[in-house]
Amino acid sequence: MKYESQKVAKLYFIAAIGLFVGQILFGLIMGAQYVIGDFLFPEIPFNVARMVHTNLLIVWLLFGFMGAAYYLVPEEAETELFAPWLAYLMFWIFLVAGAATILGYLLVPYATLAELTMNDLLPTMGREFLEQPTITKIGIVIVALSFLFNIGMTILKGRKTVVNLVLLMGLTGLAVFFLFAFYNPTNLVMDKYYWWWVVHLWVEGVWELILGAILAFILIKTTGVDREVIEKWLYIIIAMTLITGIIGTGHHYYWIGAPEFWQWFGSIFSAMEPIPFFMMTVYAFNMVNKRRRNHPNKAAVLWALGTAVMAFLGAGVWGFLHTLAPVNYYTHGTQITAAHGHMAFYGAYVMIVLAMISYSMPLMRGREACNSARSQSMEMWSFWLMTISMVFITLFLTGAGILQVYLQRFSDNPMDFMVVQDKIALFYWLREITGFVFLIGLTLYVVSFFVGKNDPEATVELSK
Amino acid sequence: MNPMEKNKWPPGDLVIWIFIMAELLAFGVFFSVYAFTRANHVELFNTYQLTLDRNAALINTLALITSSYFVVRAVSAIRKDNSKRCFHWLLGALFMGVVFLAVKSMEYNHHFSHGVNLNTNTFYMFYLSLTVFHFLHVILGMIILSAVALKARAGGYSAQEHTGVETGASYWHMVDLVWMVLFPLVYVMR
Amino acid sequence: MTEKKTFIRPCTWIYLLLMALTFVTWFIGTQQFSGLQISLMVLGFALLKGQLIGDYFMGLKQVSGFWRWVITIWLLLVGSLIAFAFNIAA
Repeated sequence: MKYESQKVAKLYFIAAIGLFVGQILFGLIMGAQYVIGDFLFPEIPFNVARMVHTNLLIVWLLFGFMGAAYYLVPEEAETELFAPWLAYLMFWIFLVAGAATILGYLLVPYATLAELTMNDLLPTMGREFLEQPTITKIGIVIVALSFLFNIGMTILKGRKTVVNLVLLMGLTGLAVFFLFAFYNPTNLVMDKYYWWWVVHLWVEGVWELILGAILAFILIKTTGVDREVIEKWLYIIIAMTLITGIIGTGHHYYWIGAPEFWQWFGSIFSAMEPIPFFMMTVYAFNMVNKRRRNHPNKAAVLWALGTAVMAFLGAGVWGFLHTLAPVNYYTHGTQITAAHGHMAFYGAYVMIVLAMISYSMPLMRGREACNSARSQSMEMWSFWLMTISMVFITLFLTGAGILQVYLQRFSDNPMDFMVVQDKIALFYWLREITGFVFLIGLTLYVVSFFVGKNDPEATVELSK
Repeated sequence: MNPMEKNKWPPGDLVIWIFIMAELLAFGVFFSVYAFTRANHVELFNTYQLTLDRNAALINTLALITSSYFVVRAVSAIRKDNSKRCFHWLLGALFMGVVFLAVKSMEYNHHFSHGVNLNTNTFYMFYLSLTVFHFLHVILGMIILSAVALKARAGGYSAQEHTGVETGASYWHMVDLVWMVLFPLVYVMR
Repeated sequence: MTEKKTFIRPCTWIYLLLMALTFVTWFIGTQQFSGLQISLMVLGFALLKGQLIGDYFMGLKQVSGFWRWVITIWLLLVGSLIAFAFNIAA
């Protein structure tokens, strides 16, 4: 760790992991509710568990991105962070606001929460993933702007590398598009149209820039490959992301009442959205193959390569499977969607944050390069357990989805929604069991931070 | 040098060729989708194709081909270390680009004033989408050529180092290449 | 530094050929000739023009290996798909 202020990231990462655990616990609650309908009812109804699960995901990923930025920007810019005190302050504000919001979801009825937080002054509640009270949303904007200011000033006073600039572009985009969460047209079609300006342009747009930049940073550090080569690839990848992803937003406009040409534009452009992910995979493996050094942090390299592969599979391949309008007509809003969503989020964004933590945490805790062999070994076990179980969760949900689509929509005598849910219950059981395996993996991951702390660092010879 | 010796890499920066491949993929998909959609609406496509201005398309095709030819001459000029000449050829190419944009704009003006838009029918949806998509690439290509032209005028290139010129030229030729397929496909084949 | 081969005068011939092929296509268009055979012929001209641009204007004729054929492959692929689509339409 070259700059003292990089240490700010540690706090953000700890919060991120904590919230990640919370997210998974609520995921397991919902998985159980799929098959035991009144599990924890009325204390934690399904819709509340869902809000907690999805909101925790977004918030912990944001903590992760901010931590990643606070770590890598000073190092890239070759100067200390502009205002570490501001980063600490924002951390606590974000954490407290986030915790309060989650408690709000759990402890009071949603309508009451709206009343308590004076939602009617500027109504922004009531939409998927954007359930936060307006005051929380305003808090998020303040935190995001302070964060951007801090990072921006750091880059301004230091070295402006491609990695820094792409990361900053992505983070700025993240903040800008979040503003659409405040825009609530009364016309339902327009409401949905702009909702995707937050969601799609985040995860299939600016977040990919963040992903690319962090991945580039990790590859530069662990492979020793020429920065210029890695940066050139980064440019191509983000160009492809934006070219395919911006008009690709149209694949969310097929059935909401927007003009028909979106079925064409959305299909054609979103069909090409896997390309940047494919390039990322080729690029990651290429860089590692051409490496000039064997970095002793094998776990970090594993996470980095894993991210590229899982992002390509989850976001790229599974996304492609249901992106064309004629297919989406049948699969829209089914378990196919859930399958894609889980693997895509895990592969692209969960894994890149974990990769960054894997790389930087040892350094922030005083190591020269990496953790002990014992710790890395446990961490790599956690990688495989979480990743393989996610693959299986996705496969089970895909199976459920195919059956659901056929029985509920495609067959000559379509069946009722609830009747079909009953018939695909086996897949839900399998998914839930696998979810517990995922939790074991996550537990191992957390434990890996505490084992082998006093053991010597792994060296290149040991980890060959 | 052995005249039979070939280069391993295409002219210009390799990055632009990655980009060119991506663009060709996008257009290729678009063209194919047009052709297959047409197969389901032959009457419609044949009927409305006749409302397109083939003469305007002729001028546009000639303009783009000429423009590409000028770009080839520009590259030759800089390979012989003649920055000034390179700049002049590029200006000519840009002028041809302006001709293309002007004629295309007139075509659009005609259609729009008759109330044609993306929702009118499937043929027009494709016609407008394809040509507007291409139009935007002509603009981008012209921006690139302008940047190259300015640098050439300032003496930024030489016979030894003119990768930028070849890079911009390659992109422009791609824009022309795409039109070579678009013009017959949309305006003529029936 | 390796001197790259240049094509000027051949390029001027190519330019004239491209213009000529364009006129032919345009003429067919103004006469509104229709039918699969005509369409495929016009398509063929388009692919030829594309190949000429790739070979001579883009200079790919002087390139060895994969990059020599990148435009050709695209033209053949897209051309085949279009030809197939027009065939099933007829």
